[in-house]
Amino acid sequence: MLEVTGFSAGYQGNDVVHDVAFHVDPGEAVMIIGSNGAGKTTLFRAMCGLLSSSSGRILFEGDDITGLPAERIARLGMRFVSAERHLFPRMTVQENLLLGAYPRRPDPETMSIVLNLFPRLAERRRQHARTMSGGEQQMLAVGRALMSKPRLLVLDEPSTGLAPLLAKAAYEALGVLRERGLTVLVAEQQVPLAMAFSDRGYVLENGFIRLQGTTEELAANPGIRSAYLGVT
Amino acid sequence: MTANILDGIVLGLQFGLLAAGLTLVYGLGGVLNLAYGQMAVISAIIVALAMDAGVPTWPAIGLGLLAGGLLGLILDLTILRPVYRLRGEARVLLSLLLTLGVSFIVDGFLIWRYPLKALTLRVGVGAVEILGVPMRWGSLVASAITLVTFAGLFIFFQRTSLGRAVRSVIEDEEGARLIGIDPNRMLRLILVLSGVLAALVAVTRAMVTPVDVQSGLFITVFALIVTVVGGLGSVAGALLAGIIMGIVNVVAADLIGSYISLIILLGAAAVTILIRPAGLLGVKE
Repeated sequence: MLEVTGFSAGYQGNDVVHDVAFHVDPGEAVMIIGSNGAGKTTLFRAMCGLLSSSSGRILFEGDDITGLPAERIARLGMRFVSAERHLFPRMTVQENLLLGAYPRRPDPETMSIVLNLFPRLAERRRQHARTMSGGEQQMLAVGRALMSKPRLLVLDEPSTGLAPLLAKAAYEALGVLRERGLTVLVAEQQVPLAMAFSDRGYVLENGFIRLQGTTEELAANPGIRSAYLGVT
Repeated sequence: MTANILDGIVLGLQFGLLAAGLTLVYGLGGVLNLAYGQMAVISAIIVALAMDAGVPTWPAIGLGLLAGGLLGLILDLTILRPVYRLRGEARVLLSLLLTLGVSFIVDGFLIWRYPLKALTLRVGVGAVEILGVPMRWGSLVASAITLVTFAGLFIFFQRTSLGRAVRSVIEDEEGARLIGIDPNRMLRLILVLSGVLAALVAVTRAMVTPVDVQSGLFITVFALIVTVVGGLGSVAGALLAGIIMGIVNVVAADLIGSYISLIILLGAAAVTILIRPAGLLGVKE
């Protein structure tokens, strides 16, 4: 589904992520974990065409998408939900969702799937996006991405700015999507949340991938346990 | 007073239409088009030349609108190319400088080539009474066209998916890109639309008062004032601010004198900006 090799990217010639390689297979949930500043956001932004990369290659469903602008990558079916959400604040929940399907006609079935998954959005259909709470905005950002029936959903820190219970609820919703066969790549610093959700993972530290493995392997790793899971 | 208010609304609708084309381009692409008035004037001259050549009025107006749209497209494909490579303030400044240059060249050419050309459109004869006030047919037809245009714009932006896509870029450009919308294509579309709106400004204005080759600067300046008061990127703001400023202008001209009405208009604009920096219905904070 997604294959990233030798990928380096950063700002103004200073690479933040170095020689990163990872892959996501169809139907998998893969996490990239790391502390704040490890380079997760830079990696995702570059991968999704919002930032140019300095080297490496990205294959999405066999097509080379390296260097394509964000709008082209989105249209290919790889949808990025940024930690900043980037909703359309003065447009209603409904309009935000409809736009998610653009340029195709919004599919009523997909709309009802999204509204069933996030009943709060159904209640607030006519409300402006900016008037919603952080948790609801996160739901809307994910819902908007789902409206396009993405092949791969890429999420940057879906727990950002959410109270622990809401963050947990957000991951539960993602779990439902996974069971329906959606392929998901998620970056997260709240490692226990991501671990409860993912099949495999990569550990990003200072812009390098230090470790990789199945969730069980990573959870059993003493380094991970002390650094990310608070177990000593 | 009723007469003043009706005249003010007629003028205000014109102001609103003036601002709509400018505010959309600025709100969407951070491009300030100071050749906007010249786009209107070129369209007016094309309508006038076509009518001189024997083309009937309405087809000639159609030609003018087509020319306006084409001018928008040409701007997008030529001098705005380098502007698109910049971001933020640099982008605004370069667009301002380049389009100001275009406006000088257009003005110079038109004054040299067609010094006495002006567009006057006569629609209907005499006047009709509205609320006891006699109104000229030209004013009424111009206002009706403007209202229909605004209705069309609102339907486009609220009800069509393409219109929503354009709004999404004004709201959050990165968000728009992440859902597959190419901001540059939306901007090209809006530049064409703004060219057509500029031509409509010229045509409706010519129904009320002659549009000569030197009207460009006036149109741009008023469009700018109304845009700033209405809020950048807001069509509804342009309409609201246009009507308010039209009424202010006419009432001030009547009560104090037309020599001072422009100063009062600018004063009203300044006060609005002090109270609401984003304009009446501004999108950008």
